[in-house]
Amino acid sequence: MVSLKDSQSVGKATDIVSKSTMTDGDVLLSVQGVSKKFCRDLKRSLIYGVQDIAAEMVGLRDSCDSLRKREFWALDNVSLELRRGTALGLVGSNGSGKSTLLRIIAGLIKPDAGTIEIKGKVAPLIALGAGFNPILTGRENIYANMSILGLSKAEIDERFDDVVEFAEIGDAIDSPVQSYSSGMAARLGFACAVHTEPDILLIDEVLAVGDMRFRVKCYRRLSELRKSGTSFIMVAHNPHVILSMCDQSAYLNRGKLLIVGDTPSVITKYEEDLFLGDSENKKIDEESSGSLTLPEKLEGTSYGLDIMSLHWENSQGQKLKSLKTANSAALCVKCRSDSNLDDIFLTVIVRQAFGEGESVLNLSSEKDDCKLNISAGISQVLLKMPSCSLKAGRYVMKVYLSQKGHRILDVVESFYFTVENIPGMSQCLFHQPHDWLIRAASHEDDSRSL
Amino acid sequence: MIGDLLASRELAWRLLVRDISAQYRQSFLGVMWAFIPPIMTAMGLIAAKNSGVLNISETDLPYAAYVMFSTALWQIFVEALNGPVVAVNQAKPMLAKINFPREALILSKLGEVGFNFGIKLFLIIGLFIWFKIPVTASIVLAPVALIHLVVLGTGFGLLLSPLGALYNDIQKVLAMIVAPWLLITPVMYPVPQEGWFRMIVALNPVTPLLVTTRELATTGVLTETSGFWWSSTLAFGCLIFGWLLYRLAMPYIVERMSA
Ligand SMILES: Nc1ncnc2c1ncn2[C@@H]1O[C@H](COP(=O)(O)OP(=O)(O)OP(=O)(O)O)[C@@H](O)[C@H]1O
Ligand SMILES: [Mg+2]
Repeated sequence: MVSLKDSQSVGKATDIVSKSTMTDGDVLLSVQGVSKKFCRDLKRSLIYGVQDIAAEMVGLRDSCDSLRKREFWALDNVSLELRRGTALGLVGSNGSGKSTLLRIIAGLIKPDAGTIEIKGKVAPLIALGAGFNPILTGRENIYANMSILGLSKAEIDERFDDVVEFAEIGDAIDSPVQSYSSGMAARLGFACAVHTEPDILLIDEVLAVGDMRFRVKCYRRLSELRKSGTSFIMVAHNPHVILSMCDQSAYLNRGKLLIVGDTPSVITKYEEDLFLGDSENKKIDEESSGSLTLPEKLEGTSYGLDIMSLHWENSQGQKLKSLKTANSAALCVKCRSDSNLDDIFLTVIVRQAFGEGESVLNLSSEKDDCKLNISAGISQVLLKMPSCSLKAGRYVMKVYLSQKGHRILDVVESFYFTVENIPGMSQCLFHQPHDWLIRAASHEDDSRSL
Repeated sequence: MIGDLLASRELAWRLLVRDISAQYRQSFLGVMWAFIPPIMTAMGLIAAKNSGVLNISETDLPYAAYVMFSTALWQIFVEALNGPVVAVNQAKPMLAKINFPREALILSKLGEVGFNFGIKLFLIIGLFIWFKIPVTASIVLAPVALIHLVVLGTGFGLLLSPLGALYNDIQKVLAMIVAPWLLITPVMYPVPQEGWFRMIVALNPVTPLLVTTRELATTGVLTETSGFWWSSTLAFGCLIFGWLLYRLAMPYIVERMSA
């Protein structure tokens, strides 16, 4: 796990780099009002394709801003900017147009409206290993794949060993790619792609394959690239990946760009939309105040026990805006039950908001063999922490109430909170309650030392 | 356009190496496939001619050599014709994911045509030696005419490739059209001298290019010069127009492929 201190200092280092190289011309990518329409019907889509090509040939392709029959806007007036050395996360539910946007940026398809300006080389990682021929060996495919990505023979020769080393597939490098496991093929593909040293890297969910170790290695490589000035746009469905890699994020919803901003707030908004349905009856401003109130469940979506709100409080029962290391605190989960429920478990999983996604704490009353009985009506479940061991930083918590057999009754995916610093915590991963004292040597100690 | 063409040379070479080595690694007979079809065709035709089933007037070369040489040339044309459509369809997954110079696909296919011809060259040289066919100095010009033939095929192929990428009908049509087209090309018979059939054969743009290549390589006496020039003009016109179309159409084609 990367300690928060490290990640902060890394963050600062990249800030310095990006500031020192930041001039007016440092917007690598600017997307202005891009729209794209697609057709749901294949036959029609092909006919439209022929029409479009014919129109393009003759040089008159105007009526772009109107939809023909069975068409829809896959992207609607999207504008973005990407500076050198920055990472932009792109989130959105399935079919929201993320891949389409990346394909337009990569120049694979033309937008129907709007413009794209790019400075530098774009390497799309929309899928790994494009152009791999299954019959050829890994070694031969490296050459083919990297040429497709735009490198010359000399450049490939230069990087070849690095690629092989990075992919870590051992002897398999000389056997045909069709005999590779999917993870091995992905390793090779990723190794090829990250060694092309592009200015802009477009990553579309390709890091989900591969084992944990390789993934960590990929992330490390990506942050190295970023330090050396590569920017990237990253699509991932795992919010922790986005949180740890990207400082800015954009949220696409049905082809519309809803918000662009700093990652935690964008992710919060996205997750709220994802898990809580529509976005009107939500209170985002509470995010900063150390509590979260959830909207009432819709009819038929409740499992009999609903979490109403979450907040932190001190030992006197006063609400806390943030925690403080080494001080006591309690998490209060307010919930409503339709009936008397026995043997309920509360589980709390805490992660660093900007970490790699591993949990820092995983506290479960089930593991502690502590059964909670909840009576009908509204009640509060408290998780008391005599001394908060977390060091300063921003955390995100997942909370769920369940019954035996992991039957989840209600869940809050992300509740963000802050832990404030106390002196003396530098170079500590967590707070260890401790005391110092001096004691006069006793007889026992004397005799042992003799 | 020219810049993209130059930029794609290296990639085209890689793709060519990739395709050819994959092709031969998975084949038992390998290079033999370049020889078997023209030899089989020639043997069938010779049998038919000798038995009197086919009534073919005398050719200026020994008939076996005439047929094999012409078939090899015809095959080059067909390969060049199919090249762009096949290349685009084969490379669909790649096209949908990576923005590489699209000319590389065509160049690589042309390279493959050249490679296959290089192999057939052994057959042709063997033929020339076996039948003691006299060659004239004009043989050095034969490759020029051959290139025009390839240009014609590629030009037609490029014109069809955008449509061929969208609809698979095009590939079927191409496969279907090749057989009758062969019949109106002087491959198995010499150029007819009169009659309505001569009209059809003369209107076929492949005729002058193929005949001129053959004549340059052997007798050196050209009979189709005017046809050669209008056919070459057509070939280069098609190539440039087809290339433009190919470039313009590509984003619209990629858009309709799955990523
Ligand atoms: N070639 C195409 N032809 C027609 N419709 C398409 C095409 N490609 C994408 N679409 C449609 O455009 C919309 C956006 O698709 P896109 O692939 O960009 O989604 P996404 O955000 O990447 O989703 P996911 O999270 O599943 O990867 C979808 O509704 C999809 O059906
Ligand atoms: Mg996608």
